[in-house]
Amino acid sequence: MPGNKAVAYGVKLSRVEGISLFPITPQTTIVEYLADFIANGELEAEYIHAEGEHTAMGVAIGLSLAGVRTFTATNSQGLAYMHECVAQAPAYRTPLLMAIANRTLGWFWSIQPDYSDVMPELNLGWVIQFVESNQECLDTVIQLYKIAEDKRVMLPAMLCLDGFYLSYSNERVEIPDQGEVDDFLPPYEPEHSVDPTLRDFGPAAGLPPPLHTTYRRIYEEILHDAKAVIKEVDEEFGRRFGRSYGGLIEEYRCDDVDTLLVTMGSMTTAARRAIDRLQGEGRRIGLVKVKTLRPFPIEEFRALAERVDAIGVVDRMMLHGTGGGGLFADLKSALYSLEERPLLVDFIAGMGGDDISTMDFVEMGERVLKTAERGRVEREVEYVEHPYQPTARIIPLKEKRVIYPGSGGCTGCGASIIIRHVLDVLGPNTVIVDPPNCAGVNYASVVGVPWILANYAATAGYQTGFYRAYKLKGKADKVHVVSFAGDGGTVDIGLQALSGAAERGESIIWICYDNEAYMNTGIQRSGSTPLFARTTTTPAGKVWRGKGERPKNVPLIMAAHGIPYVATASIAFIPDLRRKVKRAAEITSAGKGLAYIHIQAPCPTGWYYPPEKTVEVARLAVLTGAWPLIEIEEGRVKINVKPKKLRPIKEYLRLQGRFRHLTDEQIEEIQRWVNESWESWLKLEEMGKLPWYK
Amino acid sequence: MSREEPPFGIKGLVLRGGPLGGGGVSGGMYVGDWKIFSPKIDYERCTKCWLCVTYCPEAALSKGERGPELDPRFCKGCGICGNECPVEAIEMVRE
Repeated sequence: MPGNKAVAYGVKLSRVEGISLFPITPQTTIVEYLADFIANGELEAEYIHAEGEHTAMGVAIGLSLAGVRTFTATNSQGLAYMHECVAQAPAYRTPLLMAIANRTLGWFWSIQPDYSDVMPELNLGWVIQFVESNQECLDTVIQLYKIAEDKRVMLPAMLCLDGFYLSYSNERVEIPDQGEVDDFLPPYEPEHSVDPTLRDFGPAAGLPPPLHTTYRRIYEEILHDAKAVIKEVDEEFGRRFGRSYGGLIEEYRCDDVDTLLVTMGSMTTAARRAIDRLQGEGRRIGLVKVKTLRPFPIEEFRALAERVDAIGVVDRMMLHGTGGGGLFADLKSALYSLEERPLLVDFIAGMGGDDISTMDFVEMGERVLKTAERGRVEREVEYVEHPYQPTARIIPLKEKRVIYPGSGGCTGCGASIIIRHVLDVLGPNTVIVDPPNCAGVNYASVVGVPWILANYAATAGYQTGFYRAYKLKGKADKVHVVSFAGDGGTVDIGLQALSGAAERGESIIWICYDNEAYMNTGIQRSGSTPLFARTTTTPAGKVWRGKGERPKNVPLIMAAHGIPYVATASIAFIPDLRRKVKRAAEITSAGKGLAYIHIQAPCPTGWYYPPEKTVEVARLAVLTGAWPLIEIEEGRVKINVKPKKLRPIKEYLRLQGRFRHLTDEQIEEIQRWVNESWESWLKLEEMGKLPWYK
Repeated sequence: MSREEPPFGIKGLVLRGGPLGGGGVSGGMYVGDWKIFSPKIDYERCTKCWLCVTYCPEAALSKGERGPELDPRFCKGCGICGNECPVEAIEMVRE
């Protein structure tokens, strides 16, 4: 099974009671597997779809403070976004577990692994372990709950598994017996949970300055003492289950060696083969795997250092401005106080998922051996670089366009039809500011206008900055600052900044292409997913029957800001769509405020229908009332397409696999919801003008 | 690779047609080998309503003298053109 599934099994075997999540590649399948377990009655747990990682960690802290065994998972940009809450968790003594399927942190984006994402979180007081194999993923989840919940520790823990190398790669994994895991890991019984029915206190958040230093000392002592617990738990796990990982560090063929290579995570397996090869040639070099990065195994490394002449550190983590890597810096400072220190060299390798091969490790090993022979360090830090082969398949065209043909999008993509018409209407003086989504991945490389990747929750902030700068330069009426956000970037994680921009009256255009789930990360539920739709985080199983909630009415939320223009649109009504985009451009060019257009983007991949049906599905959404075409200009509501009689919702639902599991009762309830929503719009239209508009 | 050499250096930082940032490209993306079915256009039947051109997600169809012209290099074979054609002038045929 893949590493993410092994983590999910570990969570299930640990009988976790609360799970909070927000999807991000390559972590997402962990929480998808967990959703499957819960949907099929194999695990009983609260499962909370947060609308962003910041919230996900908030939910996790709340769950843990209130006294339940808690799990969450993230990585990279998501981990960075939750940073503030990550810093709060240890102070509150919440023994929750977070799995990090490591992925590089932008900087330049990639979904492939290095440890730059976990680097800013290292020194906040969490217990942090790295794993090498999928079996170790599963075993470490169980071990970490035991460590974190130990009365001597009571701190949150992170499990780091390399994205892709482990998260999506299959290996044989033995699933331990539930009864044996229950014996090893008893139910979590916190002594100090926040519960007014039991006790009248909660944890302190603020401290007077004189106590800060004292508390820092105490936390550091707890973390130091946690090392004994980590070793104890690993040994006990080894006795019971026959697998042990060294606790803090694992030595591999370190007897009678003069030199060492130090590695972390999945790269260790290739390094083992390199060590085998070098020792086979009679070279005296061993391998040390860092299992626990925090608390750092200082004493263990000092003891090792006394046995060798040179150590080479392989770092998938760069501390910019210090000249070297993170593990190297840790090791260097740990060994400084020794009277006789071995020579240290650092290899920066495997950044952004670049593969580190066995041959790379052999070369690194040879350099460490050479350093020991010479008795001095020639180059302290070396970079293991590989040549790059471009793979783009761009066919040059003579004429200049705002958007070129072809794209990386799925066959029959609805969003593709939208972006082509939007850009065609807006023309070349357009800046697309785009939160991460399918469109960014697929269309950024075929547009003839600037396409700026914005950090998810800050998209409207980026737009505000662009708009105000053009205003200063006297160009605000000539340049369109446009988002092309998905439903996640609009109705969930992006809503806060969008609301701020609307209230400030920024004259920007917000296009939401709504494919009604997080399609780019693999079809997870969003705040815009319709009632009872099946997604990978709201599967249909024995217990769950798709998404249980109705979607947010974001057009009306935007209208509540009193902005000059709000509209919905459909790819089945292109003239209407183009007219709305043009109107939005006129309004924002006149500096009247934010224009918001919400466009349904049918997605053959995520809605499970044949690609040729994209426009047909969109048309049925309008004709059944599932996607009303409305326009609110200066508060006047207008329904643009008003069929004499709405077609039954069944006609729309039956085309799509995401609704295949529906029972007749569920279909009736969807019909009720659609009717209610349609009647609400009719009433709003009758009002003439929404009363809060001037 | 040196710091002067593209794609590095200050010029290289302005990625053109990159995977997530972009702009400034001057061509289309070759996706012609994705398709299993290809649109076959019956120009006798075609009424030049241009719905196929309007809906083509890849801009592989353009307005021509006799009707829609297909650039197979950009067609993924989704079949939306054939599904939407009101006079059934487009048939999806296996390549």
